[in-house]
Amino acid sequence: MKFLSFVKSKCLFLSISFFMYFVVLLLLFAFKVDISLIIAFTVLFISVNIINLLIEYFSKRKFYNQLINNVDKLDKSYLVLETLKEPNFYEGKLLYNSLYEINKSMNENVMEFSRQVSDFKNYIEMWIHEVKIPLASCMLKLHNNRDKLNENMMLQLNRIDDYLEQVLYYVRSENASKDYFISKVNLEKCVNSVLVKNKDYLLDMDIILDVRNVDFEVYTDAKWFMFIINQILNNSIKYKGKNSIIKIYAIRNPSNVVLIIEDNGIGISSADLPRVFEKSFTGSNGRDNVKSTGMGLFIVKNLCDKLGHNIEIKSVQGEYTRVEISLSDNNFYDEVR
Amino acid sequence: MKILIIEDDKSVRDDMMELLRNASYEVFIIEEFNNVLDQIININPDLVLLDINIPNMNGEMVLEKLRKISSVPVIMVTSKNTISDEVLSMGYGADDYVTKPYNPTILLLRINSILRRINNVSEIVKYKDAIVNIKKGTINYCNKEIILTKNEMIILGFMLSHKGVIVTRDELMTDLWDNNEYINDNALTVNISRLRSKLESIGLQDVIETRKGQGYILL
Repeated sequence: MKFLSFVKSKCLFLSISFFMYFVVLLLLFAFKVDISLIIAFTVLFISVNIINLLIEYFSKRKFYNQLINNVDKLDKSYLVLETLKEPNFYEGKLLYNSLYEINKSMNENVMEFSRQVSDFKNYIEMWIHEVKIPLASCMLKLHNNRDKLNENMMLQLNRIDDYLEQVLYYVRSENASKDYFISKVNLEKCVNSVLVKNKDYLLDMDIILDVRNVDFEVYTDAKWFMFIINQILNNSIKYKGKNSIIKIYAIRNPSNVVLIIEDNGIGISSADLPRVFEKSFTGSNGRDNVKSTGMGLFIVKNLCDKLGHNIEIKSVQGEYTRVEISLSDNNFYDEVR
Repeated sequence: MKILIIEDDKSVRDDMMELLRNASYEVFIIEEFNNVLDQIININPDLVLLDINIPNMNGEMVLEKLRKISSVPVIMVTSKNTISDEVLSMGYGADDYVTKPYNPTILLLRINSILRRINNVSEIVKYKDAIVNIKKGTINYCNKEIILTKNEMIILGFMLSHKGVIVTRDELMTDLWDNNEYINDNALTVNISRLRSKLESIGLQDVIETRKGQGYILL
């Protein structure tokens, strides 16, 4: 709150009062009052005005400066009311009470929306579990009456399952971290079960697998981590090149284990590479080749962040894509427990 | 081998029943979920497939109570794949855990491996006077010994545990992949023909028959 601006805002009040002053002055001259009385009146008039202004300025400045500063400093500026004391001047009280009411109605509004979102998420989760039952039934039916056509249908059912999982993990990764559980997990087992799950897809696409040196114990949530590997593997299959090989191996460092999934597929252009983890980013690969939602890697990044894993993608277009996930293998979690 | 399916979705239950019957297991089902425990005891199965979401008492409670009176192997089946379920059922003593939708071949593999583990199938198996050492990967027959590669041993091991039953290429392939051997279709053919000629070299002729369009059978 600046003094000059404050005075300017009082312009009307001051000009009226000075106008009255001159009227009084003229009257005093007209009645030929003694000059010393006029001077005394002038001094009195000016000092009363100044004192008035100063008192008002300082009492308001305290409240408004606090308001402005706190709005600036808080990263959630809507909480500013909590930091203020109710002011003792009338306009301030009006403002304070209005802010209070506005806040309240806003909160109710936000609450309503967040309730709707969480209801919807719960419904989606439930719905996915429900859909998985007929899906399981279909898979069993196909398996019980199998021929060449059915194998292809099985592949498609697996794809549906993958897409369902993606939604499920999207809902979960956005939620508060409630349903993951970090424990000691064998990396080879995780990799193996993802590969077995994708066996038909990999064989169908004529992809050679080169898996070595993954027998390490790491700290992660097995389910989430398997979802992450599954997403990356599926990207490698989706964007494969000719004579495709997918190499999966791990490197042991003093403080972590790095799992590397490397393909010789079409790669990612250097322009797209920094943005692959962005939500809904499809890039030229997603547009040109296969329909892509741009959600897979976004969810993967989100889950990795929650689990405390570092994920990096290196790629040269037309040559390779290498995904590196570093997992902690220290016994921090053991020590905590 | 008696397997009991506890699953409330009729369609899944019937399909599962057919799957297990085709794999030559004796299958029992439960249609009334009022006294699940008594029914399990009456049927006295060798293995139970237990769904988590069943009416009245949920699967976890069934398992918890079952564990107090029986040590029958239990595979939990669920569509909820939250970790808390897993922790719970493992804590209650489930032997394995599969989530819907499961690959039927993998489910069969899990069942097979649990039953093998429970029945303490030793690492040395007798087959027609031949002694197969699964761990060492050797076969002794008529004073002759041959050494099998890991892949060949996995194939033979799977066939030995399904003696007299047709095994499909997909089952063999899944078992190989499950054992970290990620081979393709051609490699499987090569491995089987190599296994055959190795068996022939010690005098075990024509023990693996090809059933066209179906798979292989160990006689």
